[in-house]
Amino acid sequence: MIAAIAVVAALLLQLTIVNRLSLPAGGVPDLVLLVVVGVALARGPAAGAVIGFGTGILVDLAPPTAHMLGQYAFVYTVVGYLAGRGVGGPVWTVVLCVLAAPLLAAAVAGLIADPRVASASLALSLPVTAVYSLLMAPVVVWLVAGDRARVIPA
Amino acid sequence: MRDTRRARLILGLLLTAALVVLTIDHRTGVSSPLGPARGVGASLFGTAEQVVTGITRPVGEFVSAVANSTSAQRRIEELEGQNARLRADLAASALDKARSAELRRLIGTSQRGGFTVVTASVIARRGHPGFEDAVEIDAGTDDGVRPEMTVVNADGLVGRVVQATARTSTVVLLSDPASSAGARLEGGNEIGVINGVGEYGRLVRFRLLDSTAQLTPGTRIVSFGSQRGVPYVPGVPIGVIEQVEATPGELTRIAYARPFANLSGLDVVGVVVAAPKRDPRDAVLPIRDGQR
Repeated sequence: MIAAIAVVAALLLQLTIVNRLSLPAGGVPDLVLLVVVGVALARGPAAGAVIGFGTGILVDLAPPTAHMLGQYAFVYTVVGYLAGRGVGGPVWTVVLCVLAAPLLAAAVAGLIADPRVASASLALSLPVTAVYSLLMAPVVVWLVAGDRARVIPA
Repeated sequence: MRDTRRARLILGLLLTAALVVLTIDHRTGVSSPLGPARGVGASLFGTAEQVVTGITRPVGEFVSAVANSTSAQRRIEELEGQNARLRADLAASALDKARSAELRRLIGTSQRGGFTVVTASVIARRGHPGFEDAVEIDAGTDDGVRPEMTVVNADGLVGRVVQATARTSTVVLLSDPASSAGARLEGGNEIGVINGVGEYGRLVRFRLLDSTAQLTPGTRIVSFGSQRGVPYVPGVPIGVIEQVEATPGELTRIAYARPFANLSGLDVVGVVVAAPKRDPRDAVLPIRDGQR
């Protein structure tokens, strides 16, 4: 329940405020991704995948959309599973998810021959987005997961 | 045991579901059976976005003002000249005044071209991580907005409507890499195609179809218009050519143009609900040695 509220709040915040900011170097943090990572960190891989899928469908439905339905459902399912499973410690998990999500999104878009993936500006903007997301990550993940972010047994 | 078989099964099922939805939506295009779901989602989230924007507009404007303070530093001399006027504006609630001035300019522009516009405000934006450049505006089918209508602001072409619900609609911007529009050089009949290249709307690519035609920086371009004005009406100013690429031996010439409309900071826009009876040609372009 709390997870659902957090996801919807993050999505609305992302679409109405964050995406409209003009920050230096362009690009903005991806709050929705960070919330999915945080929730999955706290609840494990199965719940992470389910919440990731639900979030992805919402992201695909919330206007303005000009992409195919299901694209972000796929991406966030993988991210939720990965974050829930954990990859050598919460910090590395967050970093890996933040880096992997846009690449995965680009790969899925490439799969359906979306002309936007080929544009050169993508290579420029993805690192900027990743850096902003990583900067915001400690705050958002802590807010969502709190101390429940599981310590992964080595 | 964190990585159970159950978790993997769920992962597999969900990924399959996502791919199936994606495939259905991709293959069926406009007649997608998922259209109703998208409509419901659009109206629910559109309304929510409208409410949230209503509450948070001042906050967002404050944050973006702070974020832009470094570049503002450079313009401080220029700003000092305008200080007196700004102070007066501030006293009388600068925000509303600026928006109403923008609205007045928009109406003036559309009258010059003979367009009939429905005015709207931007309530949400999709930039990254969507790769697409689209905004949500607070006017919908109730106001007469339909898909494939041209969207302009006081300065020039902004984009086109791709989806409209009762009270909100989605606009794909000129800077979206998947959008393209017919364009014409001012004062002539040379035509070409405008493509977005991302870059946050700073530049768009202009491909001139006749490789022997003159193409110099500083030339302005207007929209050429589509058949029956769908999705683009003719005569809307698009931008000014900034650099011309040397493409020897190619059939078309490529240039980059700076759009008149500030696509990264949109607020008041207008949806052209009725195209002019005759092509306004270059009439909507601002006078060259004017104040702008």
